[in-house]
Parts: sequence; C-alpha cells; structure tokens
Amino acid sequence: MRVLQSWLKEYLKFSIPPEELVERLTMLGLEFESVDRLGEKFRGFVVGHVLDCARHPNADRLSVCSVHVGKETLQIVCGAPNVAAGQKVAVGLIGAVVPRRMHDPAGTPLVLSPIAIRGVDSRGMICSEAELDLGPESGGIMVLEPKARAGQPLAVYLGLDDVAYDVEVTPNRPDWLSHMGVAREIAVLTGRKPALPRVRLREGKTPVTSFLKVRVADRVNCPRFAARVIRGVTIAPSPAWLQTRLRNAGFRPRNNVVDITNYVMLECGQPMHAFDHAMLRGGTIIIRQATEGTRFTTLDGREHSLPAGTVMVCDAEREVSVAGVMGGANSEISEGTVDIVLESAYWKPASIRKTAKALGIVSDASQRFERGADPQGVRYALDRAAGLVLELAGGTLLRGVIDVYPKKIHERVIRMRPSRANLVLGTSLSVREMIALLALLDVRPVRRTGKTLAFRIPAYRVDLLEEIDLIEEIARVHGYDRIDSKTSAAIDVSHPLEKEDPAARVRSQLVGMGFREAVTNSMQDEARSVAPGITPVRVLNPLSKEMAVMRSSLVPGLLQVIALNQSRGTPDLRLFEIGHVFRVDPDAPTRLVGDYAEEERAAVILTGARHPRHWDSVSPTVDLYDLRGVVDGLLEALGLDNSRFIPYPTSDGLIETPLGVELHGGYAGLMGPVSPGMASRYGVEGDVFAAEFLLSALRPGGRKPYVPLPRFPKVRRDVAFTFDRNIAAGNVENEIRRAGGELLVGVGVFDVYQGKGLPEGKKSLAFALELMSLERTLTDPEIDAVVGGIVRHIEQKFGAVLRGA
Amino acid sequence: MQETIERLRSQAEADIQSVQDRTELEEYRVTYLARKGRIAALFDQLKSVAPDQRPAFGKTLNELRSRVQSLLDERAARFAAGPVVRESIDPTLPGRGLFVGSSHPLIQTLEEIKGIFVGMGFSLADGPELEDDYHNFGALNFPPDHPARDMQDTFFVGKDALLRTHTSPVQIRVMENHPPPVRAIMPGKVYRNEAVNARSYCMFHQVEGLCVDRGVTFSDLKGTLISFIKQFYGSSLKYRFRPTFFPFTEPSADIYITCFICGGKGCRLCKQSGWLEILGCGMVHPNVFRSVGYDPERFTGYAFGMGIERIAILRYGIDDIRLFFENDVRFLEQF
Repeated sequence: MRVLQSWLKEYLKFSIPPEELVERLTMLGLEFESVDRLGEKFRGFVVGHVLDCARHPNADRLSVCSVHVGKETLQIVCGAPNVAAGQKVAVGLIGAVVPRRMHDPAGTPLVLSPIAIRGVDSRGMICSEAELDLGPESGGIMVLEPKARAGQPLAVYLGLDDVAYDVEVTPNRPDWLSHMGVAREIAVLTGRKPALPRVRLREGKTPVTSFLKVRVADRVNCPRFAARVIRGVTIAPSPAWLQTRLRNAGFRPRNNVVDITNYVMLECGQPMHAFDHAMLRGGTIIIRQATEGTRFTTLDGREHSLPAGTVMVCDAEREVSVAGVMGGANSEISEGTVDIVLESAYWKPASIRKTAKALGIVSDASQRFERGADPQGVRYALDRAAGLVLELAGGTLLRGVIDVYPKKIHERVIRMRPSRANLVLGTSLSVREMIALLALLDVRPVRRTGKTLAFRIPAYRVDLLEEIDLIEEIARVHGYDRIDSKTSAAIDVSHPLEKEDPAARVRSQLVGMGFREAVTNSMQDEARSVAPGITPVRVLNPLSKEMAVMRSSLVPGLLQVIALNQSRGTPDLRLFEIGHVFRVDPDAPTRLVGDYAEEERAAVILTGARHPRHWDSVSPTVDLYDLRGVVDGLLEALGLDNSRFIPYPTSDGLIETPLGVELHGGYAGLMGPVSPGMASRYGVEGDVFAAEFLLSALRPGGRKPYVPLPRFPKVRRDVAFTFDRNIAAGNVENEIRRAGGELLVGVGVFDVYQGKGLPEGKKSLAFALELMSLERTLTDPEIDAVVGGIVRHIEQKFGAVLRGA
Repeated sequence: MQETIERLRSQAEADIQSVQDRTELEEYRVTYLARKGRIAALFDQLKSVAPDQRPAFGKTLNELRSRVQSLLDERAARFAAGPVVRESIDPTLPGRGLFVGSSHPLIQTLEEIKGIFVGMGFSLADGPELEDDYHNFGALNFPPDHPARDMQDTFFVGKDALLRTHTSPVQIRVMENHPPPVRAIMPGKVYRNEAVNARSYCMFHQVEGLCVDRGVTFSDLKGTLISFIKQFYGSSLKYRFRPTFFPFTEPSADIYITCFICGGKGCRLCKQSGWLEILGCGMVHPNVFRSVGYDPERFTGYAFGMGIERIAILRYGIDDIRLFFENDVRFLEQF
C-alpha cells in the first residue's frame, strides 16, 4: 500500500517529519518498505516565464532568453527550436542538478553553473521532458500550462511535492489498506481524531428503484449490497489533482468514474465498482452463484471458466462481475457510457479468497475483501463516490439508495479483565491507563461488571475478536519498549524432554574422523534418486522436475555433492549428512502423518584417495575396508559393541552387495560400494563407498559400569590356518570366540595371505588369541588346552589346516 | 621375562607394518634377527633365568624368532626387485596429513544457538518435516481460507499432507504429548514454495522455542530473548521489539538488532534502516493452547522462531544462500 503524506493530511493534521513518522509508526506495528520524497530531484527547478527571446548574436541555432523566475529575471541561452516569448517553461537555477545530461550518451546528471555560451552569459537552463526524466526526447523544451505561476517550484507545479510511504500491511490489518486507516494510526501518536470528508448529496426526483432492481440470492456470501444510479454522466479524463493523486499512489488514471472508485477505495478502504447501466440487461442486478464451467471474461481481458460456487454479480441474463474480485468486460465503463450504477458491498472474506485463488486473480478489491472490509463503511463509500461523480462527471443522482442489508452486522463488544492484561504482559498498568490507551484507537468501554470491562470495537477493526486482542493493543500502544524485561527463568531439571540431540555425538565423531558435513536439498528428482521398491513421496506442486520427490535415502544427494566437487577439482572426499528421509509406506511403524514414513538417518560416503596427497607416496584409493573401518570406529566410539554384519545377496539399487548392520539384534543400516549404475547417473567417477544408518539405532549405548583393570597378565598365542578362499573371516572369528570360552578375551585377524606357497584356491588367515583370567596367572597347560580346543573346532568346522605349528 | 618377550613380539609385529622398502627391511632384520639383535640379546639373558624355567623360555624365544622370520619373509615377498634410494631427512618438507572434518556452517550456527538456550534451561524436541494441515496451520490459529496462510507458500504432498512451512508445528506436537510446564527449543528444516535465487531458497532451517508455565509474561519473553541476543551477538548491541502479526502468538513482536555492517547508519544489507530483523516472537495465542488441551486461564507462555540461514549469512557475509546446499568442499572448509 502506497500512502501519500498530502492525502493523509486531508483527514488528520500532523506535523511529524517523515523519518520520525516512519520510526514511530514502525514501533506501532506498521512496516515500511520505503519512503520516497517525490519532488526531491526537482529541487532548484522552478516555473519560468519567457519574457523575451532573441537570436544569439554569434550562433544561428541558439536563442538568448530573458526568463522571469519569480524574484528575478535571468538571461538564459537556449538551443531548443520551440522556445518562444510568452511561454511558461521549466527552469533549472544555478546549483540545480539536471537529472539527465542529453549530450552525454550515458545520461549522467549535470550540475548547473554560470557559464558563457559563445560569448553570451547564461544563468540557468530551460529543460526538456527528457532532461527532467519526465518523458521521452521530444526535440524541444517542455512547455508548461499558461496559468503556471512563475517562480513556483517545479515539483509543486507537477504535483510532486509529496512524500510517498510504501507500507507493508500484515494480513490481520485490512483497515491499514487505506489512507484513513493509516491516519487513524497516526492519530494514536497525535491524540487528534481523524475525520472523513462530509458528504452532502443532491438527489433527483426519479426514485432509483424505478431504474434498477437488486436481488441478493446468495445472502450468506453477500451480507450487504448497496447501489446508487447516476444518469447522464460525461465520461472524461479526471482533473489533474485526481490524476496526480492516483499516479503518486501507484495507480494509472483511466477515466473520471473509474478513477473515483479507486480514489474512494484508497481513501476509506471500501472497494467500489461502477457498471454501465446500459449493459445491465433487464435493468437488474442479481447476486448469485455461477454454474460450474460458465465462461466469463474479466476486464483485464482474461477469460475464466468459473468453478461451481463462484459468487457473481449478474444482470437478468448473464454474469457481469466476479463479486468483490474483478468486474466483467461486458459491463465496464466506456467513453459512451451515460448512466452508471455504483456498487458498494460487503462480501464474506472466505468466499472472496476462495474465488480469487481459484481464478488466480489478486486485485485491489480482493485483497481488501478477503482480509475483511468494514461492513458499516459501505454506505459512506457509496455516497462519497456518488458525490465525487456528480462533481467531476456531472449527471443526475436518482433518489434514494438501494441497500440490501437484511441482517445488520453489529459492532462487536469484547470483555477484558485488566488484571489479565497485566498478568500476560508482566506490567502493572492501572485500569484508567488501559482505558486511555484503548481510547486512542477509538475502542471505548461500554460497561463494567465486577473486575471485567466490556469495550465496543469499531467495525473496521476486523482483527479484534477476543480479550487477548485487546491486551495486544494495550501493549502496542503503550509501547513494547516500555515493558520491563525479566530474566528469572527458573530451570526445571525434572524435564521429560531430552537435553542431548542424538545426532550430536554421531556428528562430532565423524568430524573427528575427517568427514565434512553436507546439508543437501531434501527434494530430489524422481528419475535418478529413487531406488527400486520404494514409493517416493511426490511433491504435488514442485518448483521443478529436479525437486519433485522427497528423498528416500541420503545417498543420492551426497552423490550429487561428490559429482559437483569432482567437477571442481576436489576428487578426494569424505562426507556425511544427517537428515530426514521419506517414503510412502502404510505399514511403517514411524508414521505420524497419513501413509508417510519419515525417519532420520546418518550417511557417510567416501571416494578418492585414502590419505591426503603427499610427496612421499601415492595413496591408494579407498576401498571397502576403509568404509568398514569408519563404521567400526563410529560404533565403537558410540559404545555400540553388540554389532553384526550380514551380507545381503542382492543390491538395493543404491548399494551393490550391501552389508546389513545389526545393533543389539535390530536393523541399523546398510553399507557397501555404491552401485556403479547409481554413481554414473550422477556423473560420479571412480569407486564410491557409502553407509547409511537409522539415527535412532545410533543412540549411544547407556553408560557402562567401570571394569577394574586386570591384575594378571594377558597371554597371546597366534594361530594360522589354511582355508578355502570363500570362507569369511568374520565367521571364523565368531567360531573361535564360541570355542574359546571365558578365558579367551580377545580375537583379531592379524594377517591374510594368499598366493605363493599356498595351494590354488586356498588362503591363510592368522589370528592373535588373547587369554586371561581375572583370578590367576594362566599356566601353560591351561593355555594349551584352550588353544587346542579352538584349533580342533576350526579344523572341523571349516575343513581348515593349522599352519606351521 | 615372559612380559619382555611379549612386548618385543608386539613391537616386532607393529614395526613390520611400517617397512616400506628393502633398505628398511634390512634395518628390520638387523634390529631383530642379527647376531647382536634384540632376540639374540634375550637368548643371552636365558643364563640368568632359573634352570628349571629355561626350557620353557627357550621354547617361547624360539617361537618368537621364527615368527619374526616369517614376518620378514612375507614382507620381503611383497617387494619387487630393484634398489631404492632413501632421501635424507628434510624437516621443512610437509608431513603426512590427515583428512580434516568439519560440521556444516548452518549446523555450527544452529548448535551455538542450541547451546545458549540449553544453558538457559531449555530442552530439545523434534518433529516431522512432512506435516498435516492441522499441525502446520489449523492448530496454530490459521483459520481455513484465511489470507494469513498466504504468508507462507506451501508445498503439498497429499490431500492433507504438506512440507512444514515453519517449525511451529513441533510446538503443537510437544504440547500434545507433554503436560505443562514446557520449555523447549525445536530446530529443523522447513520448506517454502518460493523461487530459488541468491537471496531465497525453497528449504531452510529454523529454531523454534516454546516456554509455557503458570505466570509466564511478555516480560519473561523479553528477558530471555534479550539474554540470548547478548550471548549470541554481543552485549553492546542495540535491539528493539516491534509489534507485528503472527496468527499463533499475541502480542507478537519482531526483534531487530543494530545492523552490524553499518553500525546503524543505513546500508544495503539493512535496506537503509539501520536495523536487522533477526527473530519473531510473541505470547502463545489462547487458541493454540485450546487446540492442544492446555487451559489458557491457568497457563501462559511465549514462543519464538528464527531462521538459521539468515543468521549465518549475516554473520559470515555470505552473498548467495545456495552455497549452503551446494556443499562445495572449498566452501565447507572455511567454517
């Protein structure tokens, strides 16, 4: 909403400078986008009267003019062919800055100084529209109206000696979408009461009802519909003052009648519409709902197919206007219009919003009606518009007004407890102070019951509905800055919610392990990111195809990051991300909304060199064991020691030959090489390894009891076996543990060998066994017995052969 | 003696791993297996062991020797033939590096904010990013078909399912599941159907806060948030609370701080106003309490929310919000 200072002053006298006004209204809740001093660039320009104009003694194309500029007469050399004695012209005085220098291709500003042109002194400049940035180059100077007063500042002559404020209006305050509304807010600062102009109408003899019939069929959506008829108007451009007002407020002037409807709307907030009476068939207006699919062309030239339930203003045969949103092309005011119908109505906000949304129209009318106009302001606006039409377009006003308003909407009365206001705000305002604060908003007490006050609310304040709304008004008008701040927050230690984010431990471990955290877009493209077997959550109104589904895994987003970094010269990457993933899964236990499953995951991904590049050696590229090392390290750091890794026979589409990770017997995640197909879809080069976990499974294990350090030595024995190559070391290790009993406290592979010295198809696995007792030093026979048992068990179980005993 | 042998064995096994070439292999052999090597030295010590224990230790030492020999053999087999020249030590050469990790700049900012509120007695809570209309709008006092809904352009995923446009629905879920008092902050991702450009992205992060108890006032809201601002932005900064509108709080306020780029004189960043908006807040609207079954007569509370991207952008002077989600390592490693 663009608000003009001169316009505000029509309703309220105030002399607060613009900066201060902005500051003080900001602290009352209005938001200002900008403050524009419209005449600023015409400082130093005045209206001049060319008294005399003679040819330059030394140049044929130049004229030497004597120009009266109010207090003095200046000699100015002018090069324009159209300059002539008797003209009123725009003169730039010495020191003024001409906005555009015409002889400079870049059009830089020009500061005027006294000069001599071909030997003749020149004390200023007669300007063209182009030089003043007011229009295109016309080949000559700008000639003003003959009645312009010499010496008058040019900005005043142009109607630009004004300040325009761009106000951002929150959806709860439609009353601010008018000059009167903003004036009411300024009145809070000044304490004076703003007033709209008084309207006195001279009506003709013919009753309006003999010329127009109105029937409201949809009374739910049209609680009030008022109309007046003026016959014999002359459609013409509006006078300059009205055009200037509208233009400065950001509206394009059209013709007097249409301009008046806009003017009244900007004055008091009530949107208006004018029909050409001749276009209303049957001289009738009916408010009813459209049948679905009716074609209708709005006056912006767009054709719509109306949804069922669209509230329309119709004549006896057809639709003529989308109620409260936009008029129709079939009944708009044109040059030939003679008789007009002025409409002023109150529409149900929700219905206007639904229609405006469905038709994709945001109009000045719909914005005001959907937020809520003033049902009691309908009649004033109608009369005010009628008065202006009679004044500016002539014609005869028919007698009386049509005002279909079957159920009067009364001013609300809201009860408020002053004690409650102090309780919510932490203030100690007296009842008298509160009443005084609300009175500044014209909210007045009507009765008092015990400790409760009842206040009457002006009808334009559609946002004031209950006690808390009045408490807010008290705080706002009193000033938020004047409310004390208190920091006595009692800390409640018995709280049921958590203090630690489960992601924090995972994050700090991975950062410590050299991983960089990524945060990627949760919206992905469907073709590349979705693994087979997953029903993705589709965005119904996506921004683009690249953001059409919600991610069902963190891996595709990380692959995108890898591709980007590879293309920018960073091939060695260790990344992780923690975030939510989504899928459609009616059976999922983690559903909160509909059939959608959402869970938080943590993923790590690595590719490129195993070690940072170094002059000493060439690092091998990462392989599965690097990933496994990261996973083992992470689980150990989190205190999750009861893990199992289970090879899956098939790929899940993202990971080739995945290894399932179980923690404490429950599924925790997957790890393995990223399938080459998946990687190549993202343009990723080289081998990539990824692991993805449910964050809930990585919740650190509870604190474990301290175990005293052993007092007896640990003994180590090494055993190496020859196995068939397909035997998994993990399985052997599990079997060793099983056979070792409680004296075996540690098992680890320390060597894997195949090749020279071993038969084809065989490999050697060497295990270090650690034996210990908490009660005594183990004797050799005891140790030999345990190791012997293990060896026998492994030989039997796997057909292995003990090496080099 | 037993322990000495074990220690030597561990060391020999460790050392073999770092043998990179033939020269080092020879050094290794000399260290352990040569006639004056460390194993030989232990054999020399056998003399000092009690005679009845000598055979046992002798056996262990023999095992150690053959173990080291086999380690040496296997290592030797890995090296191709050919001489290796070893550089002399130059300590000005760079050392072997490690990959350095880092958390994301947005997460760092978020963690810092979390830390301040946890220190002031707030707990943490979490909620789904995919929400229903009720939690995202209805329960937060956005009436159906109300223009307030246009303040937040929404991505829809189903008839009654959408991507949350703010973290405020977590307030509702927390209150639905916990009786008062509640004092929690709720960080998370939110989504808005807005064009992507240098200044706006369709996804960003917020931290929501909620405090409900008996007798919580607008004064408490001011005190808590001023304390936060001072801890996070510095205690000398000027701030102001300005009335604004949110459907789910009343009274509502936007908090502004002095623009730290221009010091309040007015610049491009603060749109010449000298002030930067950093936080929205207000007293929880009674309708919100009603929708979660809290009695608004018995309990009052405040809520607040802030955008993490905006804070990080201001703080680091980042000129394009998209950099956060591109994850160029050259960007990530600066934080």
